[in-house]
Amino acid sequence: MIELHLLILAMVVSFGFVFSYLAMKEHDLLKALALSSVQSTFFALGFYILAAPDIVLAYLAIAVGAYTALVILAISKTERFEVGE
Amino acid sequence: MTVKRDTAVALSFLLAFLVLSYAVVEKDVMGLSKNPLRPLGEFYLGHAFASGELTSHSPEVVTAIVWNYRGFDTLFETFVFFLAIMGTLSVLRLREGQERMVRDMERVEPHRHMDLIVRVITRLVLLMIIGISASIALHGHLTPGGGFQGGSAMAVASLLLFAVFSKFTLERRGLTLRHTLGAYAVGIAIILLTVYAPLALGGRFLQINLLPGELGLFDLDVGEYLAVSFGFLSVFLILGVSEWIFRRILRGEVR
Repeated sequence: MIELHLLILAMVVSFGFVFSYLAMKEHDLLKALALSSVQSTFFALGFYILAAPDIVLAYLAIAVGAYTALVILAISKTERFEVGE
Repeated sequence: MTVKRDTAVALSFLLAFLVLSYAVVEKDVMGLSKNPLRPLGEFYLGHAFASGELTSHSPEVVTAIVWNYRGFDTLFETFVFFLAIMGTLSVLRLREGQERMVRDMERVEPHRHMDLIVRVITRLVLLMIIGISASIALHGHLTPGGGFQGGSAMAVASLLLFAVFSKFTLERRGLTLRHTLGAYAVGIAIILLTVYAPLALGGRFLQINLLPGELGLFDLDVGEYLAVSFGFLSVFLILGVSEWIFRRILRGEVR
């Protein structure tokens, strides 16, 4: 009953999980931002496999483009490194 | 120590994910395989492009749901976005004299120029992104896509403009906050006109399938496209003022 597209979906979403975990652990905020946009690319692939092209179009543009840019602008107004645990 | 803890956390996440997907796919815990199509979904699929009274003249069921069957949701989302932009404006807006001060200070600020290759390639890529975003938005009622999707793609194009040519260059060429806010207002006006138009035809608020053909969906997509792309662009223009300039102006305000 396991089909190929479900297997690919599981792989893609696991990669997304791994990258979101890495983004949470990263203290350099710009690196964390890059990791989180990689994670959203994987999730967008997952949405595509789930047959939701409308979501893919909005999600890629917002998560990789607009969100990243807004956070970069916010970081440029504070400090780049997270301090303390 | 921390490496061990990290691996444990990551492995437990993956294990939970595996167990969940096994339960849903193999053991059918949610009962998804028994009814692949719910009655509501059947209604949407059957009526979106039919000839009856409840049609929305669109073969693209997602857009039909977003702007017609669940139109109020999308309308209020648009207003949430409007409130966000108004919030940004009211917190960070500058008086006319202050705007002049910003312009003077930005003229003094050292300008980095990107390489010629980067600039030329960016121009080509920009044209492509704008074309794709227009095609996503303008036949959003026929193929996957719509106003919001096209608008956010357009926001990416304006970001590229910002990164490669500076904000100062854009403003010298005439792309100021005043213009982007004007275009944003045009988008909102198109949406409001289309939403109120059925009242004149004897229908109810937001009953856009009374308008001839797919005009209602098309108009709403165009309005949302303008509103989202220029809304994002004006937020970027406001946030793009350098921090030291902003600080100096705020200090002047305190005195």
